[in-house]
Amino acid sequence: MRNLVRSEGYARARLVTGSIAAVLGAILIARTLASTGLSFKVIPACVLGAAMIALGIVRFRDYAAARRGPL
Amino acid sequence: MAAASLAAKPAAEPSLRRSVTPWGSFSWGYSDVGADIFVGLGLVLGTAAGASNVAFLFAGIVYVCIGLAYTELAAAYPVAGGGQYFVFRGLGDIFGFIAGWAVLLDFTIDIVLFAWSCIDYLSKLLPFLGYVDHPWVHFLVVFSLIAGLALLNIIGVRESSAFNEFVSGLDVVSETTILFFGFLFAFQPQLLIHTMTVSWPSPFSLMNGVSLAIISFVGLESISQAAQETQRPASVIPRTSISLILTILIFALAYSNLALGMQPWHAIPPDPHGHAQELWQYLGNENNNGAAVAVLASYVPYFGTIAALYVPVLGAILLLISSNSGVFGSSRIAYAMSGTQLLPSIFQRVHPKFRTPAVSILTFCGFAIVELIFASLPSLSAPVKTIYARLFRGEDGITFLGDLYAFGAAASYSFVFIALIALRLNDSQSPRRFKMPFNVPFTFKGNRVEFPIVAVIGFVGIVSILVFTMITHEIGRIAGPLWIVLGIVGYLFYRRRKRLPVFGSQPHDWRKAQINILQEAGELEMMDEYLVNVKRMDAARTTTRETLR
Repeated sequence: MRNLVRSEGYARARLVTGSIAAVLGAILIARTLASTGLSFKVIPACVLGAAMIALGIVRFRDYAAARRGPL
Repeated sequence: MAAASLAAKPAAEPSLRRSVTPWGSFSWGYSDVGADIFVGLGLVLGTAAGASNVAFLFAGIVYVCIGLAYTELAAAYPVAGGGQYFVFRGLGDIFGFIAGWAVLLDFTIDIVLFAWSCIDYLSKLLPFLGYVDHPWVHFLVVFSLIAGLALLNIIGVRESSAFNEFVSGLDVVSETTILFFGFLFAFQPQLLIHTMTVSWPSPFSLMNGVSLAIISFVGLESISQAAQETQRPASVIPRTSISLILTILIFALAYSNLALGMQPWHAIPPDPHGHAQELWQYLGNENNNGAAVAVLASYVPYFGTIAALYVPVLGAILLLISSNSGVFGSSRIAYAMSGTQLLPSIFQRVHPKFRTPAVSILTFCGFAIVELIFASLPSLSAPVKTIYARLFRGEDGITFLGDLYAFGAAASYSFVFIALIALRLNDSQSPRRFKMPFNVPFTFKGNRVEFPIVAVIGFVGIVSILVFTMITHEIGRIAGPLWIVLGIVGYLFYRRRKRLPVFGSQPHDWRKAQINILQEAGELEMMDEYLVNVKRMDAARTTTRETLR
């Protein structure tokens, strides 16, 4: 388990799920704005989408760090 | 050489074992915070109605600020004690005690509240465990659970950590799957906006909802609690904390938005008066608010059929490990506080074989048992129920614990923000591998320092939540301050008896302490950097003094 979570393969799997989260986050923002327009009530949904995109970015950075070598 | 002499330890003492890995560090935090949404979702929906997602957003923004503060501090000062240690170091002995005492309140309640909820979730599949119909069985099972967790933690962190790592991973996968199916097949943005428009609550209900929503984010400091047992903490903690902050924020916002904007897969049953109700109303009512995540999952298209069968079990497991985090956290804080003479030295005793703080574990599990008895008594005895109704205005024991949980969290986090600002100003020479964003550089007492804007935002946010808690929770505004006052009285008595400064602080050699901390953590590069910074600062001071002469 410990070796697995330190491996590049694990980081790659996290990168894939992070990328999916980022794409879904972008879709959520686009869909919410497209169907309801600009209003303060869309803020919670848009923040959720932005957090999902941020998760994707963090996982990409983790992957880059794992490629440089184990911690 | 200087490092070697400063870092020399007087004697080999038993210490906590460094066995927590990056995944272990994440799962310690996740196991504590991740379960909160299982308890918080239904409570917030029942209170904040159509603004539940706004309540979670407000609490979530404050939580992000708290998370960033803990990440910076835990990476710079990787010792057991977390927020309590940061306040102690930044603001002095008495404030360190108050912050630690507030966190101890939270962790002991954490043990009871989540063990209790764990059995509630299980009772969805095993009705004989139900609190309403079988209070004695419920009480005895929760009691046994707490006793079992105490034993597990005395045996050692390695075993507990492995347990947490497995279930945390399982839960992340499961929750992601539920949300994926929900958002993909049933989420309608128009419905979300409609619900927010027609079911917007009163300002009082919104404040109440925000104060309950912060409950869903309590416990992030478990990562910093585990700092003294984490391998290479300065490198590991920023990575795990940022992932954890985002994961928890996403889950909380996703569940609340989904509950308000999801078209349910099956028809929602009418309320007891025969009126039609929406999904969020169904989730927030008395029958379902204790298991809102499980009920929501069962209404997700396609996957809901499977989710209805296993989510109660998964919720119970996650709540169990959250309760376990409470045992872990309370014992480590007490360990740290006794090491700095804020609590009697008995709490620092480490088990000779397992090297875990056994006395602390047993003591705070004992407090948890007392809280359990207090919370259970109304259901176990009719006369006591009458007394409770008269004294506590009809609120039951669990509501009382929830009030105190919110109070303790808001009080301790307020101090942590002030401590972070104080440490930025007074300990600028300690290397920080991670810093909160948005800082204003300026010169303070001859040193270049950075003032953290996010800490100020977070402080204002958490104080607002503390005020909301005091305004909206009738018992919490009395019992919370009472806990703090009783703790201070005990502290003053202890310090006077030991002939220690009562209101002031003992002299502390923070330089030596910091070198020891970094050396023991294996962060030797940071230790060298710290020594260089200290020498540079001393040289600058000497030059200034000579110039003045």
